[in-house]
Amino acid sequence: MTRWNNNRDEIGAVSADITAETNALPARYFTDPEVHEMEKEKVFGRYWVYAGHETHIPDAGDYFTRTIGDKQIIVTRDGEGDVRAFYNVCAHRGSKMLDDTPMTDPGSLNRITCPYHLWAYELDGSLQSTPKSFEEASLNPDLDDDAVSELDPEENGLMEVNTDAIGPLVFVNFEDEPSLSLSEQAGKMKTELEDLPLGEYEHARRYVSEVECNWKTFSGNYSECDHCQANHQDWVQGLELMESELEVNDYHWVLHYKHKEDVDDEMRIHPEHEAKFYYFWPNFTVNMYGTADGYGTYIIDPIDEGRFQLIADYYFRDSELSEEEEKFVQTSRQLQEEDFELVERQYEGLTSGALGQAQLGPNEHTVHKLHRLAQDAYNA
Amino acid sequence: MPDDESAKLAEKPRAGVVTCPACDLHVSVTEPNDAVDLYRRHANVTGHDVEWERVAFDVDVESDDVKTALTELGEDHPDGVELGRLAAALADNGVAIGETLDAVRDLRMSGEIYEPQDDYVLAV
Repeated sequence: MTRWNNNRDEIGAVSADITAETNALPARYFTDPEVHEMEKEKVFGRYWVYAGHETHIPDAGDYFTRTIGDKQIIVTRDGEGDVRAFYNVCAHRGSKMLDDTPMTDPGSLNRITCPYHLWAYELDGSLQSTPKSFEEASLNPDLDDDAVSELDPEENGLMEVNTDAIGPLVFVNFEDEPSLSLSEQAGKMKTELEDLPLGEYEHARRYVSEVECNWKTFSGNYSECDHCQANHQDWVQGLELMESELEVNDYHWVLHYKHKEDVDDEMRIHPEHEAKFYYFWPNFTVNMYGTADGYGTYIIDPIDEGRFQLIADYYFRDSELSEEEEKFVQTSRQLQEEDFELVERQYEGLTSGALGQAQLGPNEHTVHKLHRLAQDAYNA
Repeated sequence: MPDDESAKLAEKPRAGVVTCPACDLHVSVTEPNDAVDLYRRHANVTGHDVEWERVAFDVDVESDDVKTALTELGEDHPDGVELGRLAAALADNGVAIGETLDAVRDLRMSGEIYEPQDDYVLAV
């Protein structure tokens, strides 16, 4: 049942049962700046969050940067070929070290050097060198050089961030000791995606949009298709919506969309005769297309409580797209724009303050899962 | 951008619209410096240049030289000229936002301009 902010309706926690009356996250969790601040720690600081695609950093020293909440990290490949992540913060006095570098235009270095006092770090994060002024006390008349202790490379190294991967998809976790492993958080999505040759596909396009609504508003919209018939009319013409299914798992859900006209197996990256759109809590999607030999990813990155950045990446067999693939990407962009209009409209309504708690329909069980996970995170 | 969308944006009391043609991004901004914030956010994840698509405030300067333009704008803004306003003025004369920001940094580093408040600048 809908709960209005009318001093009569009672707002409750998100019910475990979707048929119960309070089955949605209260509206204030979408519009309150304090919730946005809380989510930086309780959501993005606690769960595994997508950092980027390792095919962009094939060689030792290749790197890109990523900002998650207020945390800025460097994702690089070390001399052993492993992908590692470090806070982009110098161990000396906390300076940001590297300029922001997008995954799609990565940098390369032999060592990570802070420009402030030139402390230099190996690709494994250990301190490699400091200028002579840190080894002797020539400017300090009260201290002998002998009293200056040598800096231990490990103890004075960079702060590392936990990394793990699903195929080429690299995830990070900011907890000292993650309460969930990536395997536990991803469940069978990990094995399903690792069975596919994701790393063989080339990055073809990145489109970044800014949208005026809370990130969870878009996440909810992505997760259901009750709105599709009315709002994605071009797209649904090719779908068998009644034969589609929305599958919910612990921390991810999968939208299985059946197409009216099937394509040959070699025209799809996965064997199933359908499109499979994975939503992975908290803010990542993998879009396995049903009618194009490629896949895409979305990062739904909050800017503040009322805005987010959608980072949409497209991967195909070849980064040079065929005419058909170009058209496919255009259709995907059309869907995004249609959704942006919907979620901005929804958010405008939410910010009016009239609604206290929405109500979800029986086929919005994926949205219900999203809301339950958000609530669990806030209460943890 | 479709005409009806442009018309809708034009009705709002905003500083203008910025765009990234590569991403088909069109964002209306409330304050001039919102364009600079968006430029930075967008460049950080794409490397693309965001440009002014439409400027809805008065920024009439003759020069395409950053310091000359800043000196001129500073006469009307003695507390500092927003970087977004400066970038909008220069965009009219063919200077991209990224070029303006790079030039501002070089001028600051050479002591020719200063920043009386965050993202506001004045010529020395």
